Amino acid sequence: MSAALRPLLIVVVLVLALAPFGLPPFAMTLLTEALILGLFAMSLDLMFGYTRLVSFGHAAAYGLGAYASGWLLLHTGMPLLFAVFGAALLTGVVAIGIGWMCTLATGVSFSMLTLAFAQLLYAISFKWTSVTGGSDGLAGIPRTPGPFGFAALTSKIGFYYLVLACLVGAFLLCFALVRSPFGAVLRGIRENEAKTIALGYNTRLYKIAVVAVAYALGGLAGALYAPFAGFANTELLFWLLSGQVLIMVIVGGSGTLVGPILGAAFFMLMEHQLSSWTEAWALYFGLIFIAFVLFAPQGIWGLATGRLQMGRLRRASGP
Amino acid sequence: MSTVAFLLTQVVNALSQSALLFFLGVGLTLIFGLMRIVNFAHGALYMLGAFVGYSLSHWSGNFWIALVVAPVLVGLFGAAFEFTILRRLYRRDAPAFLMVTFGLALVVGEAVRLTWGSDALQVPAPPLLADVIFLLDEPFPLYRLFLVATGIVVAVAIWQFLERSRLGLLIRATSQNADMASALGVDVKRVRSSVFGIGCGLAALGGMLAAPLVTASNGMAATVIIDAFVIVIIGGMGSFLGSLIGALLVGFVQVFGNYYLPDLALAFMYLVMLAILMVRPGGLLGKEA
Repeated sequence: MSAALRPLLIVVVLVLALAPFGLPPFAMTLLTEALILGLFAMSLDLMFGYTRLVSFGHAAAYGLGAYASGWLLLHTGMPLLFAVFGAALLTGVVAIGIGWMCTLATGVSFSMLTLAFAQLLYAISFKWTSVTGGSDGLAGIPRTPGPFGFAALTSKIGFYYLVLACLVGAFLLCFALVRSPFGAVLRGIRENEAKTIALGYNTRLYKIAVVAVAYALGGLAGALYAPFAGFANTELLFWLLSGQVLIMVIVGGSGTLVGPILGAAFFMLMEHQLSSWTEAWALYFGLIFIAFVLFAPQGIWGLATGRLQMGRLRRASGP
Repeated sequence: MSTVAFLLTQVVNALSQSALLFFLGVGLTLIFGLMRIVNFAHGALYMLGAFVGYSLSHWSGNFWIALVVAPVLVGLFGAAFEFTILRRLYRRDAPAFLMVTFGLALVVGEAVRLTWGSDALQVPAPPLLADVIFLLDEPFPLYRLFLVATGIVVAVAIWQFLERSRLGLLIRATSQNADMASALGVDVKRVRSSVFGIGCGLAALGGMLAAPLVTASNGMAATVIIDAFVIVIIGGMGSFLGSLIGALLVGFVQVFGNYYLPDLALAFMYLVMLAILMVRPGGLLGKEA
């Protein structure tokens, strides 16, 4: 990301921070969900965009985070903040195991292993009724207020700020990560893993680490979703969500961190707008994806920054 | 019921399930072997086959006409999709295909819902096969035996087609090295269009044949695509024989798992797949790790 875009991002965050003062409650609900999905998509970008680890099972992170925070809030009376971060941490720890096994393979086999783990969790969520509620899922998840003045975060607007803070925090973390030497190794794996190994890096450890971080952040998104929606159900673990989040990353522009957040917001807005215009929204949705692949391979972010750069070039070469 | 008779019926059940899965998996694996595309729309085309078959058998009043024509129509649709859209993308990376076939799956799924509605539709088995026969004094639907027979016939036909026919030779050559095949004068573009069409047609054949057992419904695409992925992964992406073994394995795991371990049945298939991939990351007969 070029330095010129940094002020723009700060403005965007400020606008988002001021949004509750200008938007009706209904729009705030949509915006909150868009930010949660944005966090989810950005977490996948670490694996997909920076390391070329194509996960077909990222719903595993989202669903695990959602079920974990939902269960903690329902059954332990733990305050909201602890439950959310505890669930994210748990997802990250589980992901170390998943990452260890999935990175035995590469390429399409890696994708399919991640899918297998997600579907395994999906199957478990159906059958382990005493914990997951089976096909009904967990319902009536409360936002338990905490002891040290965290109670403010449990209101509708307060929760929005919690989500925004998580997204900004996670973005800064990912941004620092991809600019660090660690991130350089990840890009090395993306471009040419054999060379990176030859340079003396144990690439498998790096891959497991990035899987763990990506799942933990994806788990954070899921952990926020459960108290946001008040429920967690098996659909949060279904492969369709894994496919959708991958599309969000690609539509937004992979390997950019910001792009996938835009992709998620675009996805949500389109789904919402199209479904209010027409019954057959999925039809137009599909056509839009196909059009994106054909005409905008760099995604929304690529379109936007390409336009910016072109404008700058034109100005530079102008009279 | 005697144990032997029970086992026999379960085995035939599993074989008929495997036949349906094989139609799905073999198309997917052929397409992957040739073009390195994971076709997300495969389940949707399976569903499309079932619905087109429903309409055709209603208009013509003849199951057999529908059984032949529906896969051909869906196959032509697949070839047209390759011709108009996929063809522009071969220089691009895998995510482009993922997205475009995911988009196709959405479009086909929605088009089916708009055309045929949301209700499940009954496709009756032809009168000839609607009967029940007795296996060791146990009644057994003849239709399932017919599925097993069809599966064997189609598997042998595809095998012979790949080994003996000219197009089969070109397909194998292009799978191994598309650039070299092209340099030797093979019209690689046409081979790709045909294989994508054939793969889609086979999926439609599976859907059409499954319809009398499970009805044609909007939900049939979402579950079946994952089964197909599992088969292809277990067998090794791009391997014909692998897809046959994968289909048999998954068919038996599903049928016997459902009976003996109903609580684990859903998870069992994935556990088998995980175990196999742990040992052989490229699948049983796959070349890539």
